Amino acid sequence: MPDETVPFLDALLSRMKSAASPLRDTVTELWEKYRHLDDGNVASYIPELAKADPKWFGISIVSVNGQSVDAGDFEQEFTIQSVSKPFVFGMGLEEFGRDHVLSKIGVQPIGEAFNSITLDEASNRPFNPMINAGAIAAADLIAGKDFPARVTHLIDTFGRYCGRPVHVNSSVYASERATGHRNRAIGHLMLNFGMVGERIEETLDLYFQQCSIMVNSHDLAVMGATLAHGGVNPLTGVRAIKASYVKDLLSVMHTCGMYDYAGEWAYRVGIPAKSGVGGGVVAVVPGQVGIGLFSPKLDAKGNSVRAMKVCQDLSEKFGLHIFECGSAERSIVSQLSPVRSG
Amino acid sequence: MAKTISVHSFRGGTGKSNSTANLASMLARRGFRVAVVDTDIQSPGVHVLFGLSEDRITHCLNDYLWGTCQIEQAAYDVTSAIADADSKEPATGQIFLVPASLKSGAIGRVLKEGYDVGLLHDGFRRLIQQLKLDYLFIDTHPGVNEETLLSIIISDLLILVLRPDSQDFQGTSVTIELARRLEVANVLLIVNKIPPGMDRVQLKQKVESAYSAQVAAMLPLNNEIVNLASSSIFAIKFPNHPFTRELELVAQALTE
Repeated sequence: MPDETVPFLDALLSRMKSAASPLRDTVTELWEKYRHLDDGNVASYIPELAKADPKWFGISIVSVNGQSVDAGDFEQEFTIQSVSKPFVFGMGLEEFGRDHVLSKIGVQPIGEAFNSITLDEASNRPFNPMINAGAIAAADLIAGKDFPARVTHLIDTFGRYCGRPVHVNSSVYASERATGHRNRAIGHLMLNFGMVGERIEETLDLYFQQCSIMVNSHDLAVMGATLAHGGVNPLTGVRAIKASYVKDLLSVMHTCGMYDYAGEWAYRVGIPAKSGVGGGVVAVVPGQVGIGLFSPKLDAKGNSVRAMKVCQDLSEKFGLHIFECGSAERSIVSQLSPVRSG
Repeated sequence: MAKTISVHSFRGGTGKSNSTANLASMLARRGFRVAVVDTDIQSPGVHVLFGLSEDRITHCLNDYLWGTCQIEQAAYDVTSAIADADSKEPATGQIFLVPASLKSGAIGRVLKEGYDVGLLHDGFRRLIQQLKLDYLFIDTHPGVNEETLLSIIISDLLILVLRPDSQDFQGTSVTIELARRLEVANVLLIVNKIPPGMDRVQLKQKVESAYSAQVAAMLPLNNEIVNLASSSIFAIKFPNHPFTRELELVAQALTE
């Protein structure tokens, strides 16, 4: 009979290895390097978001073999906001399959702001699942017989990605719900075109719930590592999404994940990533690591200023751009082996 | 390149701290720059051997782990403890000690709050740089805990001290298994407190085959060391004692 305690020992040993790894030094240095970078503004479109401390700054990296390094305010929770979008898109794919989902939501970057009210004129589809219209269409695909069942399905799915139970911040939810007129307009426009079902009000509430899920930078790194690991959470071994759909999520993150900076991001950083106005960013290096970042000050396009800097530095330092064909010895995973102190 | 050496035993009372202090002193006497870190936070003690009195200790490892000082501020020069009264030659080496706190409140705080074990790794590396060390000795807490595992991971060499009794034998095999899983570079065994009359050759063979590791020293049960009551470094006080000469073999092996 296999020893059931072995995973506990493995987890402990892996934590100790991470503590002695050079990547820990890198992450700490990056945190030091950018902690005083003060550009950008905290999102203020709802009062709850404006309460964020601009000094908060967390960096986390989790590898596909379950090692992790963290720096700064990595335990500070914040609302996931748009970082949730690719994962809900994945829920739709699992429920209805690729063909049906693509009949409702495109995968075309549009270079417009996240909240634009634009649908593809020929198909009436939202352009992609990373803008609000596409994300609401994706939320419409969250299965369940009624609202509570759909919320439970949503929360359980994010729990599998994070490897721990997650919850919704009810005051942010209430605030989003009370001020979400533009999203309501987008929803009803899509209802008019028959792109979403009749239960659009319920779906909008679900979308506001989804945006108000509380995570920290470590959670985001675990979510990213789950995608990097083919859909299986490397800390729990629990599958969060079918392996065959991981590439769907990563593709839209790569082309549309960073709002209307996505093209620049794909060119300069070259790592599939998704940001949210809460200050979170998840980035995925397929087969290697998930990167979770949190710092509330955003640039004009809505991306966390410090998070973008850290991603860019990591990409350059370890050659993480997905089209990098250079040296394999710069692999980020190799940085997780402990070094002897000498 | 500095060498990091962890000295560990699965159970208490094996003479681990004594072995650490003596080996570190021998290397310092050979002219090397050496530091000893007491990571035995729950039951510190190695400072006593070096005659470092509590009123001289203003900072200790605990303070570093809580972020209130740099680790080198908790490093005390204890070279005077290894000075040879008979010799007129000044010691060319130097030895430092980073003690853990003996205050019950400080010990309690570590137990209750824990600490970021990665800081220990950062601290070791900084100590090696700041003090320009040739050797860093880590005196660990007996048994398996986070400090021990981290120390094993970052060590070039793990020295395991055990007594010839079956509880020590069983416990040591746990540590050896963990060390192998953590891919530690080298393991040396010191069998200590061997009672008179025990067949040393047979014992050595038994230990080496049980653990597939080299026995570096077979130390007799030493009444003089007991009489010294941990008040000084035995090897300095009794340089020609058989115990000292046997340990010298280990020190020699460390410099090769």
